[in-house]
Amino acid sequence: MILRILLFLIVIAIAVGGGTASVWYVLRAQDGIGALTVGDWTAFPSIGTPAADPYARARIARDGILPLGRAEGLAFIAERDSAGNRLRRDCDYRVEGATPTARFWTLVAADPTLAALDHGGRPSAVQSRQILRKADNSFAIAVGPRPAPGNWIRIDGTGSLALVLTLYDTPVTGGAGLGEFELPQVLRTGCDA
Amino acid sequence: MLRLLYAVLLGLVGAGIVHIAVLLLLPVVSDRDAWSRLSQAGGLYAVLPLHGAEADRRVLRSADPLFQAVACRFDLADGVTHIRGVGHLPYWSVSVYDRGGQNVYSFNDRSSTAGTLDLVVLTPAQMIEVRKDLPQAYAESVFVEAEIGEGIVVVRGFVPDASWAPIISSELGAAVCTAE
Repeated sequence: MILRILLFLIVIAIAVGGGTASVWYVLRAQDGIGALTVGDWTAFPSIGTPAADPYARARIARDGILPLGRAEGLAFIAERDSAGNRLRRDCDYRVEGATPTARFWTLVAADPTLAALDHGGRPSAVQSRQILRKADNSFAIAVGPRPAPGNWIRIDGTGSLALVLTLYDTPVTGGAGLGEFELPQVLRTGCDA
Repeated sequence: MLRLLYAVLLGLVGAGIVHIAVLLLLPVVSDRDAWSRLSQAGGLYAVLPLHGAEADRRVLRSADPLFQAVACRFDLADGVTHIRGVGHLPYWSVSVYDRGGQNVYSFNDRSSTAGTLDLVVLTPAQMIEVRKDLPQAYAESVFVEAEIGEGIVVVRGFVPDASWAPIISSELGAAVCTAE
């Protein structure tokens, strides 16, 4: 009798525990279902649209987010550099390359929950109309705690880092050439030992 | 031993069922979604900021720090919803969401008549009524026909640098959201 109750409890524990934990894990993973990966960057183009899958709908409900519409823009998230290492706030990075066509874009340093970082009330972010560009219209932006010449996003502290590149008013969201364009590379240039 | 294996297998099948059930129930029962958070901060048709210190911690924050945003909840059962007032800014965009936070329609400043925001959200049935005799007030409006009851309108404004912040903030704050 006791054995039977014990087995019953095991079944219930695995079912409830495993079921909820797997949902939690899938929703937390940035490269989850419905993701579009371009180079180091990941986006969820269908999030918030009627075509969204159940995972995207659950993510919206849990996080209370109001995702950008297709006419507004598309956000790409990078959590790893080109070598595949996780981004860290005590390291220096260089975001280098070019973006697809867009009216403008912003590059924001954020924590793993995608809340934007700041330093002394100033956001750790740059936008495309304020950066210096090379002759071929490409750019390089330094991200790190130490000042760098050219474009620099200042970050402080320790822990994980995420970079969010949001393209505004871009034909990319219309599905034209999705997956056929290039995004900048995220290169690690140095790290505090 | 065999019975333990059987119990684990049964548990895994149950976990699959619970996984699907939790996933599908989350949007229905969540009290952390955008609608719930906004309703804690203000009533229907109140224009609430989603940025800055004045935004309640419970209210969802606009994700991009170089943007400011305001939101307004509406219920089309009260009549058509009219949002207007945001003028010539570097960039603004509008999204209409349904009760569950799904994006129904979005457009930006390039799509509006005079560069200013003038948006009417209505159901197809209300659209037929409005078409019969277009009121002068809607002469330059963008109409969004949506088969939704309750919903949220979010207006976002781009802040190119800190000196723009007060201007964008007052422009967005001056937006008017009414049921007519």
